[in-house]
Amino acid sequence: MSATEEPGKPRNLSERIQLLQDRIYDRLFHNYIWQSIFRSGYPNTPRNQMLVVATNVFLHLHPTRLQRTHVRVTYTYCLGGLTFFMFIVLTITGVLLMFYYVPSVDRAYQDIAALETNVKFGLLMRNMHRWTAHAMVILVFLHMMRVFYTGAYKPPREFNWVVGVVLLVLTLVLSFTGYLLPWDQLALWAVTVGHGIGGSSPYLGDEVQTVIFGGFEIGQPALIRFYTLHVIALPLLAAIMMAVHFWRIRRDGGMARPL
Amino acid sequence: MAVQAQRQATAAPARPRPKRVREEEVLVWPDLVFIEFISAVLFTITFVILSVFINAPLLNRANLDVTPNPSKAPWYFLNLQELLLHMDKAWAGVLIPTIALGFFAAIPFIDRSRHMQGLWFGTKYSVRITVITIIYATVVSFGLVTLDAGDTRLTPLVDFKTEMLTRWIPSCPEAAEDVGWPCLRDEAGAKHLGIVSTKDFSKRLEFEVLGVNWPEDLDNIAWPFNDSIGDWDLGFIGLSNIHGWGGEHLNIPAAMAEQVIPLTLTIVVFPGLIIYTMFRLGWVRTRRDVMIVMYTGVIFGYLALTLIGSFFRGEGQDLIAPWNIKVDEG
Repeated sequence: MSATEEPGKPRNLSERIQLLQDRIYDRLFHNYIWQSIFRSGYPNTPRNQMLVVATNVFLHLHPTRLQRTHVRVTYTYCLGGLTFFMFIVLTITGVLLMFYYVPSVDRAYQDIAALETNVKFGLLMRNMHRWTAHAMVILVFLHMMRVFYTGAYKPPREFNWVVGVVLLVLTLVLSFTGYLLPWDQLALWAVTVGHGIGGSSPYLGDEVQTVIFGGFEIGQPALIRFYTLHVIALPLLAAIMMAVHFWRIRRDGGMARPL
Repeated sequence: MAVQAQRQATAAPARPRPKRVREEEVLVWPDLVFIEFISAVLFTITFVILSVFINAPLLNRANLDVTPNPSKAPWYFLNLQELLLHMDKAWAGVLIPTIALGFFAAIPFIDRSRHMQGLWFGTKYSVRITVITIIYATVVSFGLVTLDAGDTRLTPLVDFKTEMLTRWIPSCPEAAEDVGWPCLRDEAGAKHLGIVSTKDFSKRLEFEVLGVNWPEDLDNIAWPFNDSIGDWDLGFIGLSNIHGWGGEHLNIPAAMAEQVIPLTLTIVVFPGLIIYTMFRLGWVRTRRDVMIVMYTGVIFGYLALTLIGSFFRGEGQDLIAPWNIKVDEG
């Protein structure tokens, strides 16, 4: 592949430019390093287009071919994919927010206020994190409705639907744990409402309040619990469940279609 | 293969084998990857623009001594907060959401037919029953909340409160301890009101049947084995003192007002009514249809309660119009 044909002498300017383009392309993409990363050639033939999907760890979540109906936007409205995309955006913006945030009742509020005023793009990152989090909750509901109304939960996809329900719960809990972190009045009292709801669990009320909220009042124990759950435990769990979710789509025969 | 097929075709020309129609397949790269990329780009741009112009809220520093009125949960839990106003808090906050999620998870194990999958609204009447259920769930949710808001004036123009519907029940005579006919006990010196909320069934409504007085004869009944079952100590697995029935008593009027009536209405009566009606009309015919009604009902009931909790609850969680909501920051 790396062997280039020896072209004849260029006769005019356009042929010269053509030759130059070919050489640059060759240098960039037909070298040892590039080809050690990307095994398939440029995806301009069906074979390479399938290879590029099959040999790429991110793209291989997809099959190599799909039915035309399933590619139509009005079948899925991209809702599941967009939910996942929101998760990625939230991870990126979340990591950036973590650089400036200390989960302590003494510092948390000042950190957020400082993030908004003293950090370049800090306010933008926080806004993005907030709005995409709301969007993820909405999208996950819409995705669930799409799957329901297209009957895509039916056999053999029963289990994947259950995994989806677990992911819905994880999304809500992720969003709720993040709600407390700014440590402002909105956060505190919203979580206090949740604390009351958790405390009303039959037989286990006090235990729920102690284990999840760290006591009978929202304070430092609750903040550190919510922080840890929000930045590591729940995203990790969600990522694992998503891996199962995506894997099962392929294993259960791709997207649902009429029999 | 082609030759074989040709031979078969020539051998039996009168009965051409129905050809299995395979839908056209497209390659994921570029057809699908392109759509995904474009939608990701559109969403990124949208959210960058949104984030430039609209700031995430940041109120004053958290202060446990200052309670805002109303304090509200995040919007996706406002429906549960709304339910808290109408029934026992364990049901509203924990058990109903658990049942709803359990129902969601159970759907594919109830509706196990493989037919009509991969199509939007596969069954014959599914669009119709979905639309009707959306309207029904919304109307019923708003209606029940309104009924339970009792002494709230509903419109600025007409002086109508839902407690007026039951004002004909007489006021209990202040002196009498036991009364025969149903009556509503008013606060001393206060104006006579009808049944304001379901809680009044256990608090203000009084009557007597066969010598048993509602509610005072029924509100403190010992559970069976009440003395022998105390609090359970499961300290060895990290759970100390799970609260059993030790020392607790059954309060039938309260259970009726805060559990039996609201739960029967929301889980049995209203869903049953719509499913039965549409079944008799011949619109609901398969388990899939029943699932559509129930799922749509849960989702849109949830949505209606979320809207009520977000836009119609003001100070003290009173039901008021969205434009009248003022938040007292404390």
